[in-house]
Amino acid sequence: MMKAKEIMTKDVATIIGSATVAEAARLMKEKGLRALVVERRSDNDPYGMVTETDIIYKVAAYGKDPKEMRVYEIMSKPCIVVNPELGVEYVARLFANSRIRRAPVIEGSLLGMISISDILNKSDFVEKPKSNFEIYCEEFPDALEARIYD
Amino acid sequence: MMKAKDIMTTEVVTVSGSATIAEAVKLMKEKGLRALIVERRNDDDPYGMVTETDIIYKVAAHGKDPKEMRVYQIMTKPCIVVNPELGVEYVARLFANSRIRRAPVIEGKLLGIVSISDILNKSDFIDKPKRIYIEDEIEAAREDARATCEQKGPTSRECAAAWDAVEELQAEAADRRSAKV
Repeated sequence: MMKAKEIMTKDVATIIGSATVAEAARLMKEKGLRALVVERRSDNDPYGMVTETDIIYKVAAYGKDPKEMRVYEIMSKPCIVVNPELGVEYVARLFANSRIRRAPVIEGSLLGMISISDILNKSDFVEKPKSNFEIYCEEFPDALEARIYD
Repeated sequence: MMKAKDIMTTEVVTVSGSATIAEAVKLMKEKGLRALIVERRNDDDPYGMVTETDIIYKVAAHGKDPKEMRVYQIMTKPCIVVNPELGVEYVARLFANSRIRRAPVIEGKLLGIVSISDILNKSDFIDKPKRIYIEDEIEAAREDARATCEQKGPTSRECAAAWDAVEELQAEAADRRSAKV
């Protein structure tokens, strides 16, 4: 099974929660990104994320001034994060169940970002679709069910 | 106010509802698109759309075989469509209220697709944020001012401040009207 770390985007930009939304939008435009990771305030602080959806839904839609609004007012923090070893099919399932489209990949530190676009463009779900049973067999090759065709 | 047609992406690719998901994925990868428009079966048929979110949430997440599933099984049809003349702020509000991120732009025929990325990257909402219901806000501010003046007296500081607020809103609205011309 392909893993999150194999298809994640390593080019990630971070921003502080007190930055203005205008600054966040400029950074996103410059780097061609759809989301930024919000820096932690300490090692015990959770990761946060601000996406283009947050900016459009919560700022542009209400004609609020992005120069006068701050990232912390619209960000998702804590946000759902993904372990680099998580299988791509599980990432897809996690995203579908929690209705999200991207998440930072974390293990000790920030390693990258994984999105539905990464799954669509880089994973092998078209060539090798895996059912729950197949995932189970792959994970537990010695299980009785997995050995049924031996 | 900028309009949907000013920021939409005009490169649009269509797919037939009977195509397999694998074919749709191939098309999206090749063209670098996040959504495809589903062709209408006739002129009375509504427009449909299939997005990468549909594919990941409904196919990849369940380990279903994309070669054996069809677009019509996961598409959104009818989908919300946008008029090319709709102001960008109204597009943003429509998207936020209906929790969508993109919509085809239609007038007679398919003209393009407008997405939250188009709004972020091409619209002027950062330099010129626009309150779309400013006329309503003015009316509300006027009512507030009248009430304040009645309560505190027509020569009170509160009364003057309330009318200043109304004038400020009116100035902004007038500014916008002159900018339109």
